[in-house]
Amino acid sequence: MSGIQFENVSKYYQDGAGSKLQILDNVSLSVQPGELVAVIGPSGSGKSTFLSIAGALLQASSGEVTINNKNLNQLSPNQVSKLRLDHIGFILQTSNLVPYLNVLDQLLVVKKMKGKITSADKMFAKELLKEVGLGSKLKKFPEQLSGGERQRTAIARAFVNDPDIILADEPTASLDSKRAFEVVELIAKGVKTRNKAAFMVTHDERMLSYCDRVYRMNEGKLELVEG
Amino acid sequence: MFLATRELKHSKWRFAMIGMILVLISWLVFILSGLGNGLSSLSAATFKNMDAEYVAFEEGARHSMSRSVISENLVQDLKAHEQVEDAAAMGSHVAVVLKEGNEDDSEKIDVSILGIEPGSFLEPSVVEGKPLTQGGDYQVIINDSLKEQGIEVGDTLEIEGVTEILEVIGFVEGESFNHLPSIFISIDEWRSIHFAAPGSDMGVELPVNAIILQGDSIEQDKLESAIEGIEVTTKKEAINGMPGYTAENGTIMMMLGFLLVISAFVIGVFFYVLTLQKTNQFGVMKAIGASNLFLTKAIVSQITLLATISIGIGIILTYGTAAILPAGMPFALDPMLVFSYAIILLFVSVLSSLISVRKITKIDPLQAIGRVE
Ligand SMILES: Nc1ncnc2c1ncn2[C@@H]1O[C@H](COP(=O)(O)OP(=O)(O)OP(=O)(O)O)[C@@H](O)[C@H]1O
Ligand SMILES: [Mg+2]
Repeated sequence: MSGIQFENVSKYYQDGAGSKLQILDNVSLSVQPGELVAVIGPSGSGKSTFLSIAGALLQASSGEVTINNKNLNQLSPNQVSKLRLDHIGFILQTSNLVPYLNVLDQLLVVKKMKGKITSADKMFAKELLKEVGLGSKLKKFPEQLSGGERQRTAIARAFVNDPDIILADEPTASLDSKRAFEVVELIAKGVKTRNKAAFMVTHDERMLSYCDRVYRMNEGKLELVEG
Repeated sequence: MFLATRELKHSKWRFAMIGMILVLISWLVFILSGLGNGLSSLSAATFKNMDAEYVAFEEGARHSMSRSVISENLVQDLKAHEQVEDAAAMGSHVAVVLKEGNEDDSEKIDVSILGIEPGSFLEPSVVEGKPLTQGGDYQVIINDSLKEQGIEVGDTLEIEGVTEILEVIGFVEGESFNHLPSIFISIDEWRSIHFAAPGSDMGVELPVNAIILQGDSIEQDKLESAIEGIEVTTKKEAINGMPGYTAENGTIMMMLGFLLVISAFVIGVFFYVLTLQKTNQFGVMKAIGASNLFLTKAIVSQITLLATISIGIGIILTYGTAAILPAGMPFALDPMLVFSYAIILLFVSVLSSLISVRKITKIDPLQAIGRVE
């Protein structure tokens, strides 16, 4: 089965007194290619923790996560970073571009992490940037871009390695609502046309119309809201 | 290289500043090495130039020419020994000379008068004039630095306190001894200058200061027990026994050592602080799939690039300095030495990057996810 599956995933921290601090409580969920799933919920409910486990940045305390039929529990740290490089595209909140790389290089550096940059890679990166409306700003540095343009660069970067999964943590947090709509629309469009399985954590309930399913995270439990 | 060169280009000034410091440090390192080299050849060039491996002194002389008096007759005994390929006697005498015809005290010159067997392997080849001959009657070949004092082939020199007059018949190159320019003379004539005072030869027949030995397979103990009254040292030990040699060299080596440690710290700390500032950035890159190896390569290649350029500029500046230094300065750049210090500096720089590398491997990509904000 492709896409991403959570099966009875729990996460807890041992707090100082020795008692368990439960963050995620038996979460099960499956997202198929072509689906965009939103996760909403109050602050501190465990949304980012959930996303971190999906992105193999954090280990679940119990339960199983499978990405593209690979069980994350069974991977070594090196395999995990390779998995992130090959199969996962992250779109983070803000300030996640490398300050000394121009827009085109922001994408190419991901290719570089894999090895050589071919001219086909360059073509593809330029095409992605054109799709997000940055075709004329390839040589600009992050400090010369607006917030929305930066976030669009990050979206293009998430797609450049042709991953199976797209993970976005509050991609619209630092944007006004007009730009926020643009950005979510771009993510949704990318997910549909390129057939990716995608999660988006958001605070902004107006963005939910673009999503196939919406879940609410509440004290570590995941509930389906609509879909 | 992808990240390294782009960041260097983007933050030119920041890296130019640290590069500048590296340039200055390497410049100083090269200058010091040149000075050390120059001083040590001033103090022992004649010894260093000799095509020999060992030196025989009087027993108890503790590697010092000035403390040692042995008989030239031992040359035959030493040559007869199976481990010795060749042997030649040598004597040294510090003197003050004055070109004949000059009256002024300010034109007096300090020199080392070295007695050698004409035609032996100890005689350096002349660059101008003629070599020494047997029974040349106080003919000498002298170091060409004395040309600056206006001395030419054919001139005669008075020796202070001695009646003999020296006749210059040739010049040699790069020969000095005990920080003084060398004057080579036949060993018999040296003897009459050095032991001019009656009884100063302490009753030794045909006295000389030392016998220089050729032979790769000489065993010092065997030789010392085979021949009565000598001690055998390597040429290196004999050079270290020159007055002031170890002290001078030690000081310069210590300064060089400190400089290398300082440069390691300066570069190491600079890049470490830079890495600390970039933790978040490195975290993001790790989150999108960068391996530790990828980031390590970026920082190591950055330091290597910066250090190579800076050291290169340092070398150019050093040769520029050498060109304008006054000729009398004991400054001698040895390309081999410059090269090896360049390699050491580069090595130290790269080594100092390891604390940054350690930091990078510890950065958790988790911090890139919006949990801290
Ligand atoms: N290392 C940790 N040790 C203990 N508790 C932690 C640790 N990391 C996170 N938590 C707790 O886990 C809970 C969930 O955090 P998380 O970042 O997932 O919340 P969130 O839903 O993303 O909130 P927000 O909407 O504010 O971003 C928080 O209460 C937090 O205090
Ligand atoms: Mg969060």
